[in-house]
Amino acid sequence: MSGVSLSRSGFLLVLALAAAALALLEHGGPAAGRGAFLVTLVFWTSIAQGSVAVVAVTDLTGARWSAPLRRELLAAVPLLPFLPLLFLLLWPLSDLYPWAAAPTAWLNRPFFLARNLALLAATAGAAQLFARRSLRRDPARVRFAIAYLLLYVTCQSLVAFDWVMSLSYPWVSTMFGAYFFVEALYAGLALAGMLFLLSGRRRPGEATAAWPAARRDAGLLLFGFSILWGGLFFAQFLVIWYGNLPEEVRFIAVRLSASPELCAFFPAACFAVPFLALLSARAKGSAAVLCAVSLSVLLGLLAEKLLFIHPAAPVRFGGLLAENALLLALWLLAMRSRERLLPGDGEGNAAGREGRSGEGC
Amino acid sequence: MRPETLDNINASARVEEDVLAALGRPGWRYLAGVGLCALLALMLFTLWGGLIFRGLGLSGKNHPVGWAMLITNFVFWVGIAHSGTLISAVLFLFRARFRTSFNRSAEAMTIFALMVAGLFPLIHLGRVWVFYYLLPYPSERLIWPNFRSPLVWDVFAVTTYLIVSLVFFYVGMIPDLAVARRRLPGVRGRIYGLLSLGWQGTLRQWRHYGRLYLFLAAFATPLVASVHSIVSWDFAVSIVPGWHTTIFAPYFVAGAIFSGTAMVITLTIPMRRWLRLEPYITVDHFEAIAKILLFTSLIITYTYLVEHGLSLYGGNPFERDQYLYRALGDYRPLFAVMVICNSLLPLTMFIRRLRRSLAWLFILGILVNIGMWLERFVIITASLARDYDPYAWGSYNFSVVEFGITIGSFGLFFLLFLLFARLLPVLAVTEIKQGAEERHEEAGMQGASERGSEAYP
Amino acid sequence: MASYYFDNREEFLERLRALVDGGAAPETIRIRMPYQVPEAEEILGGRPSPLRFFALFGGLAGFGGGLALTIYSVLSWPIIVGGKPIVSLPPFLLIGYLLTILCGSLGAFAGFLLLARLPSGAALAADAEFPERFVIIVEEEERP
Repeated sequence: MSGVSLSRSGFLLVLALAAAALALLEHGGPAAGRGAFLVTLVFWTSIAQGSVAVVAVTDLTGARWSAPLRRELLAAVPLLPFLPLLFLLLWPLSDLYPWAAAPTAWLNRPFFLARNLALLAATAGAAQLFARRSLRRDPARVRFAIAYLLLYVTCQSLVAFDWVMSLSYPWVSTMFGAYFFVEALYAGLALAGMLFLLSGRRRPGEATAAWPAARRDAGLLLFGFSILWGGLFFAQFLVIWYGNLPEEVRFIAVRLSASPELCAFFPAACFAVPFLALLSARAKGSAAVLCAVSLSVLLGLLAEKLLFIHPAAPVRFGGLLAENALLLALWLLAMRSRERLLPGDGEGNAAGREGRSGEGC
Repeated sequence: MRPETLDNINASARVEEDVLAALGRPGWRYLAGVGLCALLALMLFTLWGGLIFRGLGLSGKNHPVGWAMLITNFVFWVGIAHSGTLISAVLFLFRARFRTSFNRSAEAMTIFALMVAGLFPLIHLGRVWVFYYLLPYPSERLIWPNFRSPLVWDVFAVTTYLIVSLVFFYVGMIPDLAVARRRLPGVRGRIYGLLSLGWQGTLRQWRHYGRLYLFLAAFATPLVASVHSIVSWDFAVSIVPGWHTTIFAPYFVAGAIFSGTAMVITLTIPMRRWLRLEPYITVDHFEAIAKILLFTSLIITYTYLVEHGLSLYGGNPFERDQYLYRALGDYRPLFAVMVICNSLLPLTMFIRRLRRSLAWLFILGILVNIGMWLERFVIITASLARDYDPYAWGSYNFSVVEFGITIGSFGLFFLLFLLFARLLPVLAVTEIKQGAEERHEEAGMQGASERGSEAYP
Repeated sequence: MASYYFDNREEFLERLRALVDGGAAPETIRIRMPYQVPEAEEILGGRPSPLRFFALFGGLAGFGGGLALTIYSVLSWPIIVGGKPIVSLPPFLLIGYLLTILCGSLGAFAGFLLLARLPSGAALAADAEFPERFVIIVEEEERP
């Protein structure tokens, strides 16, 4: 794929084609198994918004480990305006939701669509504004980081409560929203963990001199997030398991019987693997370990989304694979074209300071 | 004259002198404060004696509301205990430099708050002399505690937290105790010497010390989150509407850090003035800690919105009515105060000038703790007063005895803190020296032009 | 035996480097530091602190002990309480987790006392001081 770098209009064209392909995949085929698109959308929304959120959080706290990866993580910004478009494709699927037959004041199609579209668009806009300032190292970036994070938290909470939780209406878990935005942050962090290996190889040596220290910090954060994720997962599970109320525990029982393998896989991939692998200090600094662990985390998060959605809206696995491959390709394209799609540093060719000037990949 | 800051006080002797000056002869104001707090603490134990002697009827607890003010105090004080380890351990792991201004007093606060918190389940027990039933020990009756009960988790969590916090506190203080031994004459110096275990600052000692401190911080960080989670599960694993909700664990943890941070602010602002520690605890440091306050306040607000919003979402009448009752029922004035103190007033921390105003921070710290106390009170009593069966509804009002015990617990806490401020080094002397030296060198190496540079160290 | 005193961290490190580069065996150099200086450790070498094994084994023992205690105790009087299974893993994991942290921390603390040879009776008896300045003491080598 080396040598591919798209201009803004070229990228928009690709996005339009991708949307058409997704629409065809989802709506052209037989009507059965329509959850795949929802799983894909939920998963990629969390990755795209989460990777920008990682930059926003590190800008806000003054953390420096993400500095060499800032541009790579922000490469998801041009993808964010694409999400409302994809969400529109969900419209014909809205009869998947049990409340569609008996709408309530909060859960009815027009409002559902309007609020989610508005939030996705607002988040994309805030990400644009934030990314420009973050790349320029504008001191005002802190404000935009806060604005982006507030929108991000609201948007991910709605992804959780509206897109996923309401599939099992009237099942309620108050932690679902918080769980989703922490997971999205975890996904962004895992992406950063992979980028150390994936984009580190192509850099000239000078730019990567600071990387071992940054990698150790990213490894430490991933380790910490694995514990945080484990804690949140356990906290949610324990309360439902212990309360044993029929209307609540059904959510777990259905999923446990639908796919015990997935139920065992995702806690292992999101908690056990990163926790055990990153326990040693040496592993935290190793790009290969970090990449493998991050991959495991991302797969675990995808599996979990699948598990949340599949029993309520059956998923066609061929479709799931094709759609995720398409979005992965889109993200890779955005990564490759990041020099042209993202605004510059505002200091002439200041990117050269970190050794990435004129790097077309 | 330029205000003194850590960067221009370099002489380490000065740090030692300033911090250890507090260990000198106390003034009358201090003694009066100690006396007052001791009286309040005495009141607590007297009233507790009354409860033991006359029975729990002296409290306002009644049939549906069997957990009330005493349990509120337990949750409140465990919450206060949280920011100590947060500031010490989490900020240590994140290498936040303003930590050294607060960590010692925050750790002391953790321990004292836990000691006070631990009293309340014992008071609430009634027959306190059988409290050891809670501990797992091989008894002649062959009975073990029920490990599935959240109350037993509580025993483990609070005990573990107390022990680990004590170790953390003590380990952090060992070199400072050795400093105190060097600088203080006579018997007092000898006592500090014994407490410092003969610390000499050799390479071997420092090397293992550094690792130990890191491990303790790494163990304490997940512990701090789990302790208040477990306290939240005392409520959440039941099926009482308003208690049984999955967000409780992160919500309680955020609330605990929120109130604990407010308490750190409330305690350090007067302490800084009284012990003349202005060069060491600067307004910048308070601004940094005010941001933690703002962050946790936003989490609390988010939780309020989610909890109340989702009670209307699923069409569950018990949930809906419980949350409506909480906001609009008998406890509505308390609910309103709690929302104002916990959600609205902390929003002022978005304004830089207010973040840097110590007077406002001090007031806000107190208001936040009032708000957080009320929050626990409303959660606990409102849910019990109105659960599923209207035939079993009731309401609760506290008795004078419970009120006195609550006031007394503040007396006991402040008494312990005042004693700490006179008996132990209130700032981490060696860490401040290390930090000042590192900052000094960095400034020398980078020069002013590189401020805000992106270079990774 | 020669002793050197320094007020400044940099001077101390410089001298230390010079001594080691000049061929003094690290075992003959004793130092005192008023605060932690990781560079000194690097200069004088030495293996990394084995403290992590104490923490690790403490933690593992705590976790195993917690699970063993809970499972043994329910099996010794197997009675269903609150509709929960006899061996209810979620709550028992919680006890195991807390004991992991408790024993891990205490293990690390005990390991520290052991490795740093504290409390040091000799230092207490001799009233040895924790100095305010950096100190380097070079011992004369007994056999040249």
